[in-house]
Amino acid sequence: MVVKIRLARFGRRRAPFYNIVVAQARTARNSKPIEVLGTYDPIPKAPIDGEGKRWKDIKLDSARAKYWLGVGAQPSDPAWRLLSMAGLLEPKYRPKA
Amino acid sequence: MPPSLRCTSSLPSTCAKKLCRAGQLTRSFSTTPSQDQRITRNRRQLFRWLGSQGQSFLNPLSGSTNYLGAYNAQGQLKRVVEAAAEAEKKKKLKEGKGGEAATQSEPELGNEDKEFKGEIPPETTRDLQPFPLNRSFISQPVLSDELREEIWKRVLQDGKSVREVSAELTVEMSRVGAVVRLKEIEKEWERTGRPLVNPYHEAVMSMLPKTPYDPTGKIKPKPHESINDLPVHRATGTQIFHPTSESRHFTRADAAEVFSERLLPPDLRVPHPELAEMHKDYKAGLSVEEREERQKERDAIADRKRERAAKKQAKKEAAVKKVDTGRVVFRFTEISVDEAGKDGRGFKGVGWRYGHPHMDRTRGAVKIPTSVE
Repeated sequence: MVVKIRLARFGRRRAPFYNIVVAQARTARNSKPIEVLGTYDPIPKAPIDGEGKRWKDIKLDSARAKYWLGVGAQPSDPAWRLLSMAGLLEPKYRPKA
Repeated sequence: MPPSLRCTSSLPSTCAKKLCRAGQLTRSFSTTPSQDQRITRNRRQLFRWLGSQGQSFLNPLSGSTNYLGAYNAQGQLKRVVEAAAEAEKKKKLKEGKGGEAATQSEPELGNEDKEFKGEIPPETTRDLQPFPLNRSFISQPVLSDELREEIWKRVLQDGKSVREVSAELTVEMSRVGAVVRLKEIEKEWERTGRPLVNPYHEAVMSMLPKTPYDPTGKIKPKPHESINDLPVHRATGTQIFHPTSESRHFTRADAAEVFSERLLPPDLRVPHPELAEMHKDYKAGLSVEEREERQKERDAIADRKRERAAKKQAKKEAAVKKVDTGRVVFRFTEISVDEAGKDGRGFKGVGWRYGHPHMDRTRGAVKIPTSVE
């Protein structure tokens, strides 16, 4: 069975919050994973110093993520997007110029 | 009901009627057509008032506030009347004394001349009451344009801290912050050519008491407000009977601890603890040099503390990887999966926990937020 790196949606209605998890592909979305690599909060927060762009908070253990990628874990598309932003993967989709 | 009196009827031309007409010439107080306006006693009184005391409000004083409380029943400025009486009294005294004091009292003569010329003496608290029946309402001074400009200059051009500027000009720190922010907006609008409502600003400022600021230093700076007031903390609201031994030296710090374990002593809770420290040195009878020396030491300690905090913050910020995608910035913070512990429930671990029910939907759980972001 395939091991995947994917997002597990928690939080409340209209207040999503994701765990970035390593799990068996066929297990339920929010079931207990093999490991929680980090979190992704998709709700943008107001800039800290009052100026600039809004920001999204991601917590990630990149060393463990690298390990799981090394042993063949397959990231889902959203997970791929985040991991590529963290510099662990080549981006899958690039914005069309 | 008595028959109604009309302005247009064959009444003899009374004083009130004349006033009524005169009033219409200058300004209409009512949208009712003039033939419907009845000459009542109140109306007569209104026009009489407008002709006498009301004149001071039709043609307001320039360079001074113009509140109701500053005038007596005859429509004269109370402070002018008093100053004139005072001058009269002095004059009489001098005449009584004879020519012996004439050479010595030249400056006094100068003062009298001023009053006779009609220079208005400065306002007292009594003259700053807009509502004569509400004696506790006293119009408070606002920051003058020059003072606001100076605050902005000191903070943004001279690079002084808000705390410093607040202590120098005796303006609360929150007010200094507000002035700087609003001044920045004003200057931005001036830069972009957005029109400002200057006539309105000038009109309002001319009516209010102001805290002056003179950059040349000729006028002695006036404190705007009290800046070192102890804010009331909720924990200190309860009345506590705390028995201690008579021999114990019970300080303010001890009292704070009795109120709440985490409550700081009032010496540290005031907005400007450094001013209190300076005053303590002054009270201890230290010389100016010693006080300056001590102040320098304290400043150095504060600087070191600030630097350390800034360095810590910078280090923390540098550890965060930022990826700008155009609309938002993704901030990647490094964590360790081991923080969650063997059972995955360590308090330092991140993420939504597994096997933990959320109790916020249970009956009786209070869901009222305690803070708003």
